[in-house]
Amino acid sequence: MSADANVERGYFTPRFKFNLSCYLILLLPVGMLTLFIYVPVMWAFTGSLFEFEIGGDSQFVGFANYYEFLFLDPTTIPSLMNMLFITFFMVCVRLSFPLVVAKLIYSLTKEKYRYVYRIVFLIPIVVPGVAVQLIWAGMIYNDRGMLNEFLRLFDFTEVGFLLALGFTEEFLRSISPSGWTMGWLSDPRTALIAVVFVGFPFVGGFEVLIYYAGLTGIPESVNEAAELEGCTGLKKFFLIDIPMVMSQLKLILILTIIMSVQGFENLLILTRGGPGFETTVPGLWMYFNAFSFQRMGYACAIGVCLFILIFTLTFLNFRYFKSTEELEGKR
Amino acid sequence: MRKNRVREIILHVIILTFTFMILVPFFFALNNSFRSNSEMYRSFFGFPAEISSAVSMGWAVLGGSEEQYVVYDWDQESEERVVGAREALHQHFMNFTRGYRLAWDTLREYMINTLIVVSATATGVVLMGSVTAYILSRYRFPGSRFFYYMIISTMMFPAVLTLVPSFMLVRELGLLNSYWAMLFPYIAGGQVFAMFIFKGFFDGLPEELFESARIDGAGHVQLYVNIVVPLSKPIISVVLIMNVFATWNNFLWPFVVNTEGEYHVLASGLYVMATSHFAQNFSTLFASYMVSSIPLLILFTYATKPFIQGVTSGAFKA
Repeated sequence: MSADANVERGYFTPRFKFNLSCYLILLLPVGMLTLFIYVPVMWAFTGSLFEFEIGGDSQFVGFANYYEFLFLDPTTIPSLMNMLFITFFMVCVRLSFPLVVAKLIYSLTKEKYRYVYRIVFLIPIVVPGVAVQLIWAGMIYNDRGMLNEFLRLFDFTEVGFLLALGFTEEFLRSISPSGWTMGWLSDPRTALIAVVFVGFPFVGGFEVLIYYAGLTGIPESVNEAAELEGCTGLKKFFLIDIPMVMSQLKLILILTIIMSVQGFENLLILTRGGPGFETTVPGLWMYFNAFSFQRMGYACAIGVCLFILIFTLTFLNFRYFKSTEELEGKR
Repeated sequence: MRKNRVREIILHVIILTFTFMILVPFFFALNNSFRSNSEMYRSFFGFPAEISSAVSMGWAVLGGSEEQYVVYDWDQESEERVVGAREALHQHFMNFTRGYRLAWDTLREYMINTLIVVSATATGVVLMGSVTAYILSRYRFPGSRFFYYMIISTMMFPAVLTLVPSFMLVRELGLLNSYWAMLFPYIAGGQVFAMFIFKGFFDGLPEELFESARIDGAGHVQLYVNIVVPLSKPIISVVLIMNVFATWNNFLWPFVVNTEGEYHVLASGLYVMATSHFAQNFSTLFASYMVSSIPLLILFTYATKPFIQGVTSGAFKA
């Protein structure tokens, strides 16, 4: 042993050699990470201080891009309002519908059915997200699409029940001159609603699985105690199940907020922010500034603002929204 | 007992209603992928007319009928021909599959691109994620915690922050309009999540296994190949599937970096199709949506277990 140590003494100790091997292995992953994530993140911050086109000259403008986005740009306020509405709506539906369905599935007695239903709700995941948006745009909201064709079946000029209720035909026509049908995505009155209703009834297999896992995690002792106390049905759902799946709700809440604050692919596909700026969100505005108007610096500034917003919301979420474990710890 | 039975049936009815509402759009997309535009305009909710006429004609052919039929050729647009039953049957079949034939002509290229990008990304992500996790999980060396936090903290940067500068970077590197424009950022980003999952798994492996192999003189490569990989097969399939689904659905990045449109993958290709000359050709569009769902459907049927495991394993616990 001592002979070995004599040979290896000096700069290249076995320990050093070993560390070197670790660094060498980490070189590629960390190098890629630095180049393709840290460099763009840095550029986002530095780029936001310049005004430049792709491949063109850049000019230092300080915080002018931020100032423009926050105070001057007329699209900022409406797009932020749209984003707030979409986020609020998405949070509401993704915390409620899948949870209810998960609870319904969980209430079934046969394990076989429970498994089958969980799989069935997962199947739509195989359809690419783009295709889902395009199916809704091209088939459901389209002028000759499913929604309009369905409404044509119940056209009020054909069906007498509204007339029988005392509505005159002139009155009905004054509400809606062309019948019930409309261009759902191109009409400013309905565009935003139509956009958020894509995916109705909002029961994603992913959320169902997560909530279902939460429900199975409820200890049997709690369920038995609840039954003994006569706490069943809706009462049990609100007083026991919901507090017990708080961790899952928290997870979906964070994911939904992050997704809807930064997501704009669906809007790009469905409406391109139109009509006017009815369905524009800051992310989409960033996209247009970068890839249509060639204002890279301004786009970077919008991206940084959204990053700060997401970061703050996630932080607040962690800080104030208590998960089940924390609720139990407090007691 | 009776009460429970009723409750059970009501539960089934409610759940099936939800299932039905979710599947309706896909059903009508499938249905209308077999119908011409004019047929769809005439009655949206009807079934493909080609089926009923083909069935009656098939009976006629079986009966040895030599009657003449009038058929309409969708491919030639507005050409009506009077032909024998056998040829008419063939024409009906061609009409029936017209959407799929046209869709496949365009989709084939996108499909190949997608398969290349997805498989290369998944391989790279699993390799790099597991190797990094192995090093960071089994060894302590100066800076190991720094590297861990450096990798993990990239999870807080949302895609919206890096979209524009990543595009500038890829353009600076001259990678626009190539597979590399997708592969490098996908692998760099995907390895983080993979590393996170792998590290959680490797941390739980007993140190004695590694210790004894090391005494036998095994190096990094032997340890990784002979101990880490065989033990972590289930977790590898989980990471693989999650990564395939994520890459498959990525639409914006391929759309942005393929400025010349040569390397479109399915997701971006579908959008290009829907905004190009196919825009009003509904049977082709719907057919292309259906075709683009088939590979993942196959993967899903073969790998339901690891997929469910991946979603519920707590890997997503925030």
